[in-house]
Amino acid sequence: MIKNYFKTAYRSLKKNKGFTIINLLGLALGLTIFMLISLYVYDELRYDRYNEKAGRIYRFNSDLKFGGNTGSYAVSPAPLAAAVRADLPEVESTVRFRMWGGAQVKKGNMNIHEHAVVFADSTLFKVFTLPMLYGNPATALKEPNTVVITEKMAGKYFGKVNVVGQTLTLNNNELYKVTGVIKDVPRQSHFDFDFYLSMSGFEDSRNESWFSNNYNTYVLLKKTADVKQFEAKLPEFLRKQAGSQLQSILHLTFDKFEQAGNYFKLTLIPLTDIHLKSSRVAELSANGSMEYVYIFSAIAVFILLIACVNFMNLSTARSSNRAREVGVRKVLGSSRNNLIIQYLTESVLITFIGAVIALIGARLLLPLFNQLAGKEMVITPQLLIGALPLVMAFSIVLGCLAGAYPALFLSGFKPVQVLKGKLAVGMKGGTLRNFLVVFQFAISVFLIIGTLVIYNQLQYIQNRNLGYNRDQVMIVQNVWMLDKQLPSFKQEIKQLPGVNNATLTGYVPMSGYGNSTTVFKDPVIDEKRSMMTQKWMVDEDYVNTLGIKMAAGRFFSKDMPTDSSAVVINEAAAKMLNFDKPLNSMIYSPQDDMVTSVKGYRIIGIMKDFNFTSLRENISPLVLILEQDGGGLCIRTQTKNISATIAQIENVWKKFSPNQEFSYSFMDENFDSFYRAEQRTGKLFIIFTIMAILIACLGLFGLTAYSTEQRIKEIGIRKILGAHVSGIVGMLSKDFLKPVLVAILIAVPLAWYFMQKWLQGFAYRQDIQWWVVALAALTAIIIAFVTTSFQAVKAALANPVKSLRSE
Amino acid sequence: MPKSFNNNMLSLQHISKYYQNGPNKAYVINDLSLDIEEGEFVSIMGPSGSGKSTLLNIIGMLDAPTDGYHYFIDQPVHQLKEKQRSALYKQYIGFVFQAYHLIDELTVYENIETPLIYQDIKGSERKALVADMLDRFGIVGKKDLFPSQLSGGQQQLVGVARALISKPKLLLADEPTGNLNSKQGEEIMELFRKLNKEDGVTIVQVTHSEKNAQYGSRIINLLDGRIESSITL
Ligand SMILES: Nc1ncnc2c1ncn2[C@@H]1O[C@H](COP(=O)(O)OP(=O)(O)O)[C@@H](O)[C@H]1O
Ligand SMILES: [Mg+2]
Repeated sequence: MIKNYFKTAYRSLKKNKGFTIINLLGLALGLTIFMLISLYVYDELRYDRYNEKAGRIYRFNSDLKFGGNTGSYAVSPAPLAAAVRADLPEVESTVRFRMWGGAQVKKGNMNIHEHAVVFADSTLFKVFTLPMLYGNPATALKEPNTVVITEKMAGKYFGKVNVVGQTLTLNNNELYKVTGVIKDVPRQSHFDFDFYLSMSGFEDSRNESWFSNNYNTYVLLKKTADVKQFEAKLPEFLRKQAGSQLQSILHLTFDKFEQAGNYFKLTLIPLTDIHLKSSRVAELSANGSMEYVYIFSAIAVFILLIACVNFMNLSTARSSNRAREVGVRKVLGSSRNNLIIQYLTESVLITFIGAVIALIGARLLLPLFNQLAGKEMVITPQLLIGALPLVMAFSIVLGCLAGAYPALFLSGFKPVQVLKGKLAVGMKGGTLRNFLVVFQFAISVFLIIGTLVIYNQLQYIQNRNLGYNRDQVMIVQNVWMLDKQLPSFKQEIKQLPGVNNATLTGYVPMSGYGNSTTVFKDPVIDEKRSMMTQKWMVDEDYVNTLGIKMAAGRFFSKDMPTDSSAVVINEAAAKMLNFDKPLNSMIYSPQDDMVTSVKGYRIIGIMKDFNFTSLRENISPLVLILEQDGGGLCIRTQTKNISATIAQIENVWKKFSPNQEFSYSFMDENFDSFYRAEQRTGKLFIIFTIMAILIACLGLFGLTAYSTEQRIKEIGIRKILGAHVSGIVGMLSKDFLKPVLVAILIAVPLAWYFMQKWLQGFAYRQDIQWWVVALAALTAIIIAFVTTSFQAVKAALANPVKSLRSE
Repeated sequence: MPKSFNNNMLSLQHISKYYQNGPNKAYVINDLSLDIEEGEFVSIMGPSGSGKSTLLNIIGMLDAPTDGYHYFIDQPVHQLKEKQRSALYKQYIGFVFQAYHLIDELTVYENIETPLIYQDIKGSERKALVADMLDRFGIVGKKDLFPSQLSGGQQQLVGVARALISKPKLLLADEPTGNLNSKQGEEIMELFRKLNKEDGVTIVQVTHSEKNAQYGSRIINLLDGRIESSITL
């Protein structure tokens, strides 16, 4: 019996090749995308789970409100780790990372800038699962000037893996002994360092300040510990630890500090949540976003639904052609159950084939998808074996779901009626089918609007006047290596023919460089008259090189020796400070972390606001002081012959520093990389939308094909009676345009609501334009019309005599 | 209470079938009574729309009358549930249609085999039965062809073979030769006669052809849902 079901199913699918191909194509396409997105979501959700103790590892987050500004940090004070170990019994171990912004690594004649360098406590390997290939994890990072490197780096610098005992030179003169080689950090990790320098050699790690956050601090709790209880103890703990320091610096009790509306809080985030749920200041790397995981999951489900709907629609539509078969089978003694099983077998078979095609498709498209999504996912044999039963179960469930309606519908036919040919069964069940078409197109319209809004917003970000000019600005990195020669290096660069201007600083918009501090309106430290702000060290060419406009006053000048105690602030800072006459007013800035003394600065100029952080955020206060910073040299080049200019600059670099690598970037590239995640999402969104629409169209195409076939006799008669081709096309297309219009009415408000919500995440945004909605609606209508009228025109142009004779 | 007679294959007593047409009842079968004995070969004739097909479908239990009593091999069909009725016709009745109604996706062999599958007959047994039937109808060479590859006459031959595969006691044929040329029609009629005479299969056929009607043992003329005349040859 089973064999017979399969045989008939196979034959029937083979016989209706067009139907089968359309159905399979839609299904396979939908499933392929579903699989790829599932893979993506799975990948995102697996972050940091390689750690054997992942369930017990937490990171401290600090939230600080002080002087009218707030900050949420992924870093905490240096003494925190030791203090929790000493005070709180739940703690098994802790480990701190201290970012260092990269280092120059020298070995033999190699001297390369490495970004993935970090200071780490020696407890690193007690907390995180980073298997050590050579060396002793228990002692590896105990001594100062020791380093644990990854296998990859061992190969890069030494050409072999076992390099324990070898030496690397960092930043030209610091010698580090390699005490361990670990396996490369798994891809799904929220940190990815290659060099772990011993924290014990880093003096600052022993600083006692509770008001300077610089250490990414992780705690491993004991197996018996209760996180909730542990977290509940933190406020009291912090109050005790930080309280006395607060007293000595600000002459405030913690209570007073809080009563003034300030706060300092410590919270925990589970290690496995960091990648998707944390985007604080000083993350170890750019994290993913739960928002996108949700969005993509929703798209995956949408696309799958569209594909299922197609399947149901096409199957029921086709029932007209099968009504007779049902009648005959019933006369031959088939029970209703027999027929239901037969049709479900057919439907499961087709979903299974679709799933297998999708599996192959997903495998083939994975490299492309990886590129688009910025991932390096692989389908391992284990994953495949694990997924196979899932795919099987899935095709059975999906097949049954998608086939249930047609199966029940078909098997319910009365043989006498269908054999008499009296039942125009094909297009019956039209309500459900119309509902499903509405559903499909509603999703499509929603996705079109979503795509357009995202695309618009990204364009807006790209083209927005940010208040500075990032075109043609080249940044030469690590110029601090030139040390005393820096000023003459800058001078020589400025004189190059292809160079318009240059400014010496690492503090440029979007560089990730930052220096958060508090300034006061009076020489006495009073948090009520303070402002949290960025304080950047720049030189006198800053605004000219970056094309920043002044709103009032002047910028720093070489000819003014007093400018060493002058500041230039932005409009946001001026507003926050709220002086009657900001120009020539004084502000005071602490001279060290402990805030023991302050220095006064005269405000000599106010810059127009420019967006120096992400457009998701409002412009915050910024204070510039005139001080040398070796973070980089920004060079505004002329548009002509860029490559020659780069070569000239490199020559100058080589002259000053013959042994150092010349590394540079362009500001607009940096800017783009800042928005790469958003760009990527936008691109993926567009691709998925096109796919969704394609699948929906495929379904509509099949549906019209059947409805037209159904009415071929009617069309023939109408033509003989004198109907025009256009009239017939109109008549046939009308049926399908109605549900599309309803779909638009449903989708537009929903899309409007959800996209408005998404846009709210941007401080600077372009609100949804009416033409976006109009374009989406028009696109849906045109697509639907083209799809249906293709069939309609074909039918209308056919010779009526032929179609009538074949009846 | 009307009763059936023991040597009767089937007995219809005061059968009516009507469709509600607004306030009026449109009678298709009007108070019709008919007994058919085992071994009979009945031809039903009558103008188009006189209710021939409806009558045949009622006999075959594909359609239910609105009124009347229907006995089939002593079973009161009018009292049976759908399931019991279909079990009854599965076992005793075979159908042949004017439009053949073969399943396009199945080969000749599989078309003939299908009723056996629905009767849960084992594979080996099915094989033997179908092979027998193919042999008897001389279509062994065609067994792997699909219906579309056969002529009308050949298709109807397969249709008859399929109807006979489950060894029915009653064969119902609605204009079996309506789509065939006269030579093909004659072949089918000869086959029916042989089935009736040699195998004792009771046959009821609807036909428009006076000549084909003569193959039967009785001719019933239908007019407006009533029996106008019944002639035993
Ligand atoms: N569903 C129906 N509703 C109304 N009248 C019907 C229906 N089905 C059949 N009829 C009528 O029943 C009559 C007999 O039909 P049928 O038995 O097919 O006639 P025959 O086979 O003798 O040509 C016809 O006049 C037809 O119009
Ligand atoms: Mg008829």
